[in-house]
Amino acid sequence: MWKFIVRRLVITFPQLILLSVLIFLLAQAMPGDALTGLVDPNIDPETIEEQREKLGLNKPWYEKYIDWVGGVVQGDFGQSFRYKMPVTDLIEERIVNTFWLSVTALIFTYIIAVPLGMISGRYNDTILDSSIAGYTYIGFATPLFIFALVLLWIFGFHFQWFPTGGSVAPGLEPGTLEYVMSRIQHLILPALSIAIIQTVSTVQYLRSEIVDTKQKDFVITARAKGASESRVYNRHILRNSLLPIAAFFGYEITMLITGTIFVEQIFSFPGMGQLFIESVLQRDFSVVNAVVLLFGAAAILGALLSDIILSMVDPRIRIK
Amino acid sequence: MRKSKWILVIMLIMFVLLVACGNDSNGESEDTIYSIEDFSTDSSTEGEAIDGGTLNYGLVTETPFEGTLNYNFYSGSFDNEIIKWFDESLLSVDKNHNYTQDGAATFKVSEDHHTFTFTIRDNVNWHDGEPVKAEDWAYAIEVIGHPDYDGPRYDSSFRNIAGMEEYHNGDTNSISGLEVVDEKTLKITYIEGTPSLLAGGVWPYALPKHIFEDIPVADMSASDAVRKNPIGFGPFKVESIVPGESVSLTANGDYWQGAPKLDGVTVKVVNPQTIVQALKSGDVDVVDSFPSEQYADVEASLTNVEFLGKVDMSYSYIGFKLGTWDKEAQEVKPDPDAKMADVNLRRAMWYAVDNDAVAKQFYNGLRWNANTLIPPSHPDYHDDSIEAPTFDPEKAKQILDEAGYVDTNNDGMRENPDGEELVINFASMSSGDIAEPLTNYYVQSWEQVGLNVQLLDGRLIEFNSFYDRIGQNGDDDPAVDIYQGAWSVATDVDPSGLYGRQAIFNFSRYASEENDRLLKEGLSEEAFDSEYRQEVYSEWQQLMVDEIPVFPTLFRSILVPINKRVVNYSIGPDFMGFHEIGVTHGEPFKAE
Repeated sequence: MWKFIVRRLVITFPQLILLSVLIFLLAQAMPGDALTGLVDPNIDPETIEEQREKLGLNKPWYEKYIDWVGGVVQGDFGQSFRYKMPVTDLIEERIVNTFWLSVTALIFTYIIAVPLGMISGRYNDTILDSSIAGYTYIGFATPLFIFALVLLWIFGFHFQWFPTGGSVAPGLEPGTLEYVMSRIQHLILPALSIAIIQTVSTVQYLRSEIVDTKQKDFVITARAKGASESRVYNRHILRNSLLPIAAFFGYEITMLITGTIFVEQIFSFPGMGQLFIESVLQRDFSVVNAVVLLFGAAAILGALLSDIILSMVDPRIRIK
Repeated sequence: MRKSKWILVIMLIMFVLLVACGNDSNGESEDTIYSIEDFSTDSSTEGEAIDGGTLNYGLVTETPFEGTLNYNFYSGSFDNEIIKWFDESLLSVDKNHNYTQDGAATFKVSEDHHTFTFTIRDNVNWHDGEPVKAEDWAYAIEVIGHPDYDGPRYDSSFRNIAGMEEYHNGDTNSISGLEVVDEKTLKITYIEGTPSLLAGGVWPYALPKHIFEDIPVADMSASDAVRKNPIGFGPFKVESIVPGESVSLTANGDYWQGAPKLDGVTVKVVNPQTIVQALKSGDVDVVDSFPSEQYADVEASLTNVEFLGKVDMSYSYIGFKLGTWDKEAQEVKPDPDAKMADVNLRRAMWYAVDNDAVAKQFYNGLRWNANTLIPPSHPDYHDDSIEAPTFDPEKAKQILDEAGYVDTNNDGMRENPDGEELVINFASMSSGDIAEPLTNYYVQSWEQVGLNVQLLDGRLIEFNSFYDRIGQNGDDDPAVDIYQGAWSVATDVDPSGLYGRQAIFNFSRYASEENDRLLKEGLSEEAFDSEYRQEVYSEWQQLMVDEIPVFPTLFRSILVPINKRVVNYSIGPDFMGFHEIGVTHGEPFKAE
């Protein structure tokens, strides 16, 4: 097993290098650059040209790539043109927000998904199961950006139970209890809107797995032994049905840092998803490169994590 | 059987709901036409402001603000909306954006218009108590001119300061044209004394030297003094910042015009999709600018809000490619054989489009037909007596017939005077929901008069590629014949940056001797006489209507909603009463 992990990590390196070249070339191939947005009669074209020269935007791509990689190896991802600050600081600022939002969303997802999946699987083909299935179908069909808006309208503006935007109320001292409470309060509504939509696939997986498992021979054995119905479901069937969820978990870890662009925009919540889209639209190359590299690395590690979890949960799966 | 019945019922209910929703939003106000003249720039709420209170100011944007909170370094417009609460220009301006003597500093101009002497008022202090000194002002100019400076502000108005080029190239350590006379007096000598100096040609922002002098220039814009603890000498002080989301400000009791009436201001980002709700619930009192296409739908329901309006410093236009950019000579190179070179063809195309209808159909009158290239946001210079072509398809056809553009091969489309097929390629940018129908409208209008106009690449072009292809770097795409663009204009009326021979932003690549002459006249010694200057620019506006290198399509407006509890608010360009703004109630009004 350890051998496997080390080997996978070794393969990761060439993957990352290939990824970095690809990202870099694709970013270069985009028309325009960070200074295109400055087409404005109040700003002198000569100034723009001078800035291009200073930022090295006029160099050939391989020189730019070498400069960039040289920095990345030393942990320096360069400066964001738009934010005029080091990319690492910028990502740090955003990743914290995204991380907490995703963790909350993940917790909500499991709180909703596991019981619903169990009920649905245990009482399959009853009215209860059908209504849960109904919810999952509606969930599949509902676009997140509409659903988030509706939730915001109902609970944010109409009932005013939750704040309507941002990650924290303005003017609070970081570190105080009030600050932490405000952050939590700001997280609930966006996290809930992600969770309610995201959870539907997990519910369905769990349901079909339980329906499958409960017809297996060992379940009959368990019943024959005289195990109570709840014990049969909670111990024997559930544990054997968690496989797909475990497999998913690694990928959901990846999601912790990639963020959700729609929800972030609607709730004016500065996170990674927004940073990514924004930097692509504004041609803030150093940010695009750093963010995509980070996402790529997270995806590779997430896949690895999934494999490891799988082998731990189900010893039948042998990793070679 | 039973199950499918249920599903049927649910579907029916949802269908009814959908239909109901649809009706609700379409029913009213589709045909109401508004006019910017019915809006005031000043709030009309009467009543006594209470002591204190906090104003909530919304920034309508989908993206977080950049947080470069200093006039000398910022580039995003939302940062500007934050800075204006805690820092200000040392020079005040009037409605035409010309400097006046009412600001934190006064000025004298020498006989020859080359030397300006500025005196900062005695009671103008930074938020940390230090006085704003002449050396702070000079320091701002030195930093912007420094070779390591990374912001976008170094431009021709800085190059115009005597000794600036040498300093900027690193040949000298000081700028010969800058002289700190005493603690509060600064003298700046300019190479050329033009009327532009009086309208935005002077850098009017100071940089606190005692805070920034230990920071290398290259690191200033990323420093905590800009991003975390920014200071200024405006009516409010920055209390705390949540990066990209919000800024809390408190009153500055030491403000030179007197202590503000409000206790504080909270500036925060609001998504454009939720802005109406945020206004209704009183979540924000004021926003920087309201998406005017939403106005007609919500005007009636926003009962707790008053809308202020003003003419935007911008216009939309259609441009004709008349040449290329000569990179060697750094000037435009008109091509007399260009496809669009015949002024009659251009004039006919102007007559063929109904901008008035566009303004009413798409913008409910909140944009309106434009006649010249100087928008009414510069009231003294905009000449509304100039008669520009307006919608008249018969006239367009007649002009084309007379100029020899006739259909020779009976395909319904006109050929050029040599009898060759005429296909005009139209570059249009994707932006917002209206871009596509608007572009299609133009294409159809030209088709109506027999001109074969094709959308370049058959689709709208993304912003970055659009400006690359029409020549922001001088690499004009020869496939583009006409394009649709928009300009926001500078505070100074001088249009040489957009239509001069040496201007790379002169995307139509038009040049003529008469144009050169008028642009030069507008900046001449005589033009310090504002009547003469107005005359010159009237003549120039007329020239542009005769020669038509581009034709303006629409002027635009800016709408700003304010909660009815807010008093003394204004969006006029000459407004300097931020300290006077107050609220009549502790809580914002909510919509009924």
